[in-house]
Amino acid sequence: MKKLWWLLAIILCLAVAGFVIFGFPQVQKHYAPPLPGKPARIVSLAPNLTEILFALELDEQIVAVSNDCDYPLKAAEKKKIGNFWQPNTEAILAAKPDLVVTLWFEQQKAVADSLKRLGYRILTLKIEKIDELLTAIQKIGTATDSNDKAGQLLKNINSQLNDLQLKLGSVNKVKVLWIVQAEPLRVAGRNTFINELIELAGGENAIGNTLQQYPSIGTEEILACGAETIIQSAMGKSDIAEQQKAAEKFWSKWEHLPAVKNNRIYVVQPDTVTRLGPRLCQGVELIAHCLHPDIYAQKQNAAQQVR
Amino acid sequence: MSSIIKVENLSFAYRTQEPILKDVSFEVTSGTFLAIAGPNGAGKTTLLNLLCGLLSAKTGSIKIDTATIEAYSVRELAQKIAVVRQEFVPVFDFTVAQVVSMARTPYLGTFGFESQADRKFINEALEMTDTARFNSRTLAELSGGERQRVFIARALAQNTPILLLDEPTAFLDLKHQVGIYDLLKTMQKEKGKTIVAVTHDINMGAQYADACLLLGPDSSYQYGYAADVFSAEQIERVFGVRGFTGRIDREKFFIPLGKFAKDGGQISRKPDSGV
Amino acid sequence: MHRNKTPRNRLDKSMAEMLTSEKLAIRIVICLAVLVVVMALCTLTGKIHLPEGSRKISLEKVFAGPGQKPGENIDYEIFVGVRLPRVILAALVGAALACSGVILQAILRNPLADPYILGISSGAGLGVITAVISGITWSFWAGSPMAVFAFAGALGTVWLVWFIGRFTGKSQVTSLLLAGVVINAFFSAVIMFLTSIAKSDQLRLTIFWLMGNITEKSLSVLAVSAACILAGIFALFCISHRLNVLTLGQEEAKGLGVDTTRTRAAAFGFAAFITAVAVSLSGLVGFVGLIIPHGVRLIFGPDHRQLLPLSGIIGGIFLVIADTLARTVFGQEQLPVGVITAIAGGPFFLFLLAKYSRKVSWLK
Repeated sequence: MKKLWWLLAIILCLAVAGFVIFGFPQVQKHYAPPLPGKPARIVSLAPNLTEILFALELDEQIVAVSNDCDYPLKAAEKKKIGNFWQPNTEAILAAKPDLVVTLWFEQQKAVADSLKRLGYRILTLKIEKIDELLTAIQKIGTATDSNDKAGQLLKNINSQLNDLQLKLGSVNKVKVLWIVQAEPLRVAGRNTFINELIELAGGENAIGNTLQQYPSIGTEEILACGAETIIQSAMGKSDIAEQQKAAEKFWSKWEHLPAVKNNRIYVVQPDTVTRLGPRLCQGVELIAHCLHPDIYAQKQNAAQQVR
Repeated sequence: MSSIIKVENLSFAYRTQEPILKDVSFEVTSGTFLAIAGPNGAGKTTLLNLLCGLLSAKTGSIKIDTATIEAYSVRELAQKIAVVRQEFVPVFDFTVAQVVSMARTPYLGTFGFESQADRKFINEALEMTDTARFNSRTLAELSGGERQRVFIARALAQNTPILLLDEPTAFLDLKHQVGIYDLLKTMQKEKGKTIVAVTHDINMGAQYADACLLLGPDSSYQYGYAADVFSAEQIERVFGVRGFTGRIDREKFFIPLGKFAKDGGQISRKPDSGV
Repeated sequence: MHRNKTPRNRLDKSMAEMLTSEKLAIRIVICLAVLVVVMALCTLTGKIHLPEGSRKISLEKVFAGPGQKPGENIDYEIFVGVRLPRVILAALVGAALACSGVILQAILRNPLADPYILGISSGAGLGVITAVISGITWSFWAGSPMAVFAFAGALGTVWLVWFIGRFTGKSQVTSLLLAGVVINAFFSAVIMFLTSIAKSDQLRLTIFWLMGNITEKSLSVLAVSAACILAGIFALFCISHRLNVLTLGQEEAKGLGVDTTRTRAAAFGFAAFITAVAVSLSGLVGFVGLIIPHGVRLIFGPDHRQLLPLSGIIGGIFLVIADTLARTVFGQEQLPVGVITAIAGGPFFLFLLAKYSRKVSWLK
């Protein structure tokens, strides 16, 4: 048996030594460094990245997107390269990209690594806060040689944010619960970008500081939180009106909550909020409509805006 | 002739029980047939397990071929002692040939492939136990008696000087009982093997064994020539049963007589009357 | 006893039945050849969906080598960058899991054991969810912290199971099983707790990882894994003749000269090692470790000297085919390979059982 152990140890040492000395042929030999300048073929692996690219007027250059990219409408027509969670490396390669834009998720990082090994140009972005979104827009602008458009976009967003600040800066903060998931009940906590949007919309998260970003809460917290408005994410593409009815029924249990008493329960299409992309301000407005219907009462089609 | 098994002052008790063996000492000369007999619970199987190294004794020593049993590694001990227990069907369906070739494990090299010599032992063993014709059948396809012969074949293929058997003919028919004991005796006479067989069948023990170890229920024991140990008083005392002792030429036999025996009360506590 | 009546040719026939190293070597070579052919065929399966149209991958282009810049020779890039690493990884993981299944079934004397039974799955799962939740980004192995944690979790749990098993009860096998059950239950509870506090994307990630996936890894990672797995399988091969004996039971094995504790420890240790390596790379791919040993045993018999290497190779073949199906059956969509192994494994095994039921005694 001792011989066995020695044999094993030797094999392992050799393997490790080989690995350390890098005796392996690299796949790509001597590619020239990625050319700066406008990439002609861009692949995007996330919906918000797609929206940013379209906002920078790069629609011609976008050759493929992930399955769930559906805004703007033209994005839905682009070639698909797999799920947000499991991008299909082969499909990405078949699209012959000059630049692949990805998010900072484990699965996307793995794909990015494979592509990097093959010599492709990858841009990985972390977008989990509004600041990070703005930085990301900048970075994308630089990478795609559309700095001026990026600057313009940022200016627009900032000015819209300013307008909103003026409109909503001095209102009374409305307590709101943003429901991520109905069963089991999970809400967006204070440490999320959704919370940032809530605050910009003149609201205050009914839930206090929590350990988790998206805590599940129980009846006690619900009763104690005193939410004046409840906004619930619509699930999938099924009928919003149906979901609205179901939500009102669900919440009727907690009849003493101000939100339930005043019937301030809204089911909304959450993409503008949850995607954290260039439609940021629309997202804020969406929330603001729910929080301060009086301010928006003048605007016509208020109900349609909620959709 | 040397003593191949030497037991000195052996005592053993299972963890929370009374001592089952107290101060047992005996010597087995190489090339003898020893029968171990006694009532249930007397410690026959325990003694067997001690002799093959499965259990370790609290006090006393067991010497196999002049070295204490602790001095042997598991592999070395298997080259000295082969054990045959109750037959069973293994979980995985090995064939007869495969089971018998497992006997060569203590002698195999790194990758465990049998050499020509190993194959010779295996085939001889199959031949001797008349199991060669089953060699590609799985154990589940055989009868109990045939399986027991396979396990004996395995012990033979192990080519050890000592064979320990735990009731080797327990569920066999008469023909196979005789056959197996004949085979063991032949092994002893022709190959000089030392046979130690635990048996319930005192008549077979008396017929075949040279020596006998009779274990009593109260941790007592008797060791000596089979003829002497298998006397009627001994049997009646140790087994607690009334019986008739008879003799044909030099073959002694004992028939237990129960309450409903049809001997007409002729046989009382003092046998010898019917001899 | 009819000693003289047994004809010579009968004996020769019995001698021919026994496994020799030559016979085994031939069988291994044949199976390896099949593996290589299957791997080659699978790398060529599946169309490439280029913008100008879908077509089959072209071997000529592959042999032409990488182009001047990325995107020039798509065939080469897809072949060498995606398909080849996947096929190699699938073969390695399949081999590791199948061999590990053989060993676990031998140690536990139970044909229904699989490589995950003694805590490896819950240990790896716990490692993964811990890595995901703690948000550690430092990585070393395969470029992913999850892989390291999965490996450490799996091995740590196995060690724990072995340690506990040694101190409970007399029967090693039963105490191992009980320790495994206890550890699995406890770790599952911890995993449940961590799941409840995980963010949705972290959760998604963990579940995805646990389902079992074959993804492309770098050549250096593949090489190190191959060395580890092959070394482990080789070590297991060296003790497989003792495993034959071990399956007869503790007492019988000792009587035949096998040190049961050392053999069991070595077998378990190496099996756990190769499983942990496989699991760290591909997640918990199910079914392979359970049915491949069964199937190979049905066809070739239970002799572990043969069962182990052949199961390894056939396990590799199976997983390569399964992964190719996972990659191509729905066009652009990719299924986790664990789904394919489950769906394909069941009926396949039933077919084997029906065909070879003559050999299986308890069906008579």
